[in-house]
Amino acid sequence: MSTTAAPASAPAQATFRPSYLARAIAAFSGWPGLVVKIVFLSVVNALAFWAATVLADRSNWPAFGLLVLSTVLIDVIYLVPRQPGLIPLKFLVPGTVFLVAFQIAPILYTVNVACTNYSTGHIISKAAAITAIKENSLEPAQSGTTYAMAAAHDKNGDLVLILQDQTSGKTYVGTKKGLTPIPRASVTLKAGAIVGAAGYELVPVKDLAAIGQKLTDFRVPLGNDASISPQGFDTAVPLQPTLRYDPKRGVFVRISDGAVFRDNGLGSFVSSSKEELEPGWATHVGFRNFSRAIHDPLIRKPFLRVLIWTFVFAASTVLLSFALGLFLAITLDKPGLRFQRGYRSIMIIPYAIPGFLSLLVWGGLLNDDFGVVNSLFHIHVPWLFDPYWAKVSVILVSTWLTVPYFFLVSMGSLQSIPKELIEAAKVDGGGPIQIFRRVTLPLLLVAVAPLLIASFAFNFNNFNNIYLLTGGGPATNDQPIAGATDILISYTYKLAFATGKGNDYALASSIAIVIFFIVATISGLSFWRTKSLETLR
Amino acid sequence: MNVVRSRKRLPYFLVAMAALLAALVVASPAMSQHKAQTLVIWSDHDRLAAVTKVANAWAATHGVSVQVVEKDFGSIRDSLSTVDPTTAPDVIVGAHDWTGQLAASGLVLPLYPSKATLAQFPKYTLNAFSYGTAVKKLYGAPVAVENIGLVVNTKLAKVPTSWANLEQQALAFKKKKSGNLAIAVQQGANGDAYHMYPFFSGLCGYIFGTNRAGNLDPSDIGVANPKFLKNAPLIDKWNKEGLINSAVDSGIAQNAFLKGQSAFWITGPWNSDTLKASGLSFKVVQLPRISCQSVPFLGVQGFLVTKFATQHGVESQARDLVGSYMMTPAAQLALAAANSRFPANTAAGKQVTDPVLAQFGKASVGGVPMPNIPQMNAVWADLGTAWVKSTKGAGATPARASFITAARNIADKIG
Repeated sequence: MSTTAAPASAPAQATFRPSYLARAIAAFSGWPGLVVKIVFLSVVNALAFWAATVLADRSNWPAFGLLVLSTVLIDVIYLVPRQPGLIPLKFLVPGTVFLVAFQIAPILYTVNVACTNYSTGHIISKAAAITAIKENSLEPAQSGTTYAMAAAHDKNGDLVLILQDQTSGKTYVGTKKGLTPIPRASVTLKAGAIVGAAGYELVPVKDLAAIGQKLTDFRVPLGNDASISPQGFDTAVPLQPTLRYDPKRGVFVRISDGAVFRDNGLGSFVSSSKEELEPGWATHVGFRNFSRAIHDPLIRKPFLRVLIWTFVFAASTVLLSFALGLFLAITLDKPGLRFQRGYRSIMIIPYAIPGFLSLLVWGGLLNDDFGVVNSLFHIHVPWLFDPYWAKVSVILVSTWLTVPYFFLVSMGSLQSIPKELIEAAKVDGGGPIQIFRRVTLPLLLVAVAPLLIASFAFNFNNFNNIYLLTGGGPATNDQPIAGATDILISYTYKLAFATGKGNDYALASSIAIVIFFIVATISGLSFWRTKSLETLR
Repeated sequence: MNVVRSRKRLPYFLVAMAALLAALVVASPAMSQHKAQTLVIWSDHDRLAAVTKVANAWAATHGVSVQVVEKDFGSIRDSLSTVDPTTAPDVIVGAHDWTGQLAASGLVLPLYPSKATLAQFPKYTLNAFSYGTAVKKLYGAPVAVENIGLVVNTKLAKVPTSWANLEQQALAFKKKKSGNLAIAVQQGANGDAYHMYPFFSGLCGYIFGTNRAGNLDPSDIGVANPKFLKNAPLIDKWNKEGLINSAVDSGIAQNAFLKGQSAFWITGPWNSDTLKASGLSFKVVQLPRISCQSVPFLGVQGFLVTKFATQHGVESQARDLVGSYMMTPAAQLALAAANSRFPANTAAGKQVTDPVLAQFGKASVGGVPMPNIPQMNAVWADLGTAWVKSTKGAGATPARASFITAARNIADKIG
């Protein structure tokens, strides 16, 4: 609050002593200021330079351009002297940079993902998917044989493969032109591995890595599109493609029956009989995910129930803990109370323990048959196993975690309410309840209302509390995904990661955007309402 | 103005120089980092030392350098779909049930080890890492196998000779003292379909059937198949007797067995060190046959080559390390021992001397590899929930109803 020196009780001391803050600010002017500025800007420039090299290396030119432009802008703003037009920017730029980097960019990214089909099976790019489909379509030759292999150079210094069929034991030399038998006796074997071949110079094991890429690309054609390809350094297998890619038409054709697999516009090659080639690729699909959220009964059916419970959970957590926190703050605020500090410290404990820990501990305490709570009170409440009791447990534990926060906030706010106002109310003949309702609470709410809204928004998305205590459970009979205590965010998590075919990041993003709008609307409305409270001042 | 400008020129120069210098210092290691031919391997904490040792031994003879990066095992599968391609791994350690998701996304490469190498592995370990809707392919080199078994405290009970014998012994033990558990098997409020699987298979339940090509068929869900439903009333009986209680979670189950409050514990080799340290005399067996053979889920862990190996130009190297070197008995022994598991390679398995591991190996006979198709994601929660609902003591749902609900939910989710 005040680092200002020179207390009022010592007016005799007339020498001016600036505050530490003022002195700190003064350090930014003159030559020390210049040094500070140079150091900061150097760090910024160095980071930008490093980031630029990385971006250039990955050919991410839009981001590269943005980075260079903003770095130049920052340098200009802070280095060009005495330009009155630039002075306000000096204060605005750092905040704006952080706002863009940590708020706007993630939101844009989420919106972008929400409009794609980014999910298991649709992760890679189309070009990569085509490569992968080609690779997956290779089938080992009918014989099922494999070859022991050694890379070697022939007399001309060309790379060849010395091969031994592991079924028949016959030996060959494989070149880019084809397979030629060589006498079995000319090949030296040791424990099944080829260690020598007459007339060829084997590549030493130590140098194999150096020709790794050449080996990866090496194919010994066998006719009929089949070929022998090296698998590592000592094995090769004959492989036959089952699909052919037609780059002109952009389709895959199955060799056996001529079935055509076309790009279905949703990131997959699909045949006329709905057969799909794996993998697919990530692509933009417009508002498909949003319409899925509306039309898919799996998502739509429990949505309203989950939404209502989310409101109930967030609102009751905030109200209960505020009421309890305020009550405790008033009780412990009584002047002359013994051990006041001790009580206050105890109150902070739930706040001081990491929530992750206490949530897991509560899960154990509330266990149906073996939990401390039931055995201590000799009751048998199905805290976590009954849909209704689980809701009660979740609210109670959340309240337990949130009370200390409101206790602290209320304690601070209470002390800022002028005592004269309360004295005046007493003189006017107000009783304690009347004073609390008409004077203390309204004044308190001016300070606390924004915090109540923030806490509501936080609890609305309080994934940890739900996930660590009940995991959204127990399950209800009416539908498969949402459990009795699932709030929107944990429900979204389950939708995205525990249904159908793996992880659906795109669907999760689209529902996250819906949640964002819900929370933003509520917060906006509430802040607008609390403006009226401020007129009390 | 002119005076000011000339006086300020020096600091500008300084700024430029300092910035450039600092930038070069910071940027130079980052720029040189991935140019060299380095094989990047993602390993979990337990196996880190063993992987480093095995990979370095291989790298030394082939003139390659390897970099082993420690990752949380559970996050490796999903990290692979969001990782930055330049720093992405070329080889990962993984569980066989990730195969479907990774292969369907095109993130891993099919492997073709030599015939001689493949012959050293039990069929199921290779099947576990194979996936494909049309052509089935091997995507991983199996390294270690794991499964749960019935751990019997031989001071408190006899190794059960039959299911009826187990039931009778367990219930008699439970009655002895309040706080005793009949069979300590972990569930908790959200269930644990993995640990309940021996009971599930014992009652003739299965997850997915297979189609004509021998691949798992996600449209054939056996969670509520007629044979299982016929046996389902047994679950209601167990619930009434208190043979199984869903309030028991992993901590409670372990605690009960170690404190002698339960004579039977369903757990896996990850607890073998705990068991040995406890000083209890115990034996691990397969759960006795109920109506069908009570087999556990089999888990196979191994190594996979990612598509990034191709991008990084180290595909041959990665294939050699995973598809050849890591499948040799010596490498298998070292890698499997790192987190006390039984090696997948048969020849390596014969060299295992640890009696507890060998007992777990015997308990695996006839086991079913966890389905590795992506649709398995939709099964875990509902199957676990069905068990919880039917074994939560008073107020439990009849098993018939809860497993029919589970089967319907799973079908809805797979769509």
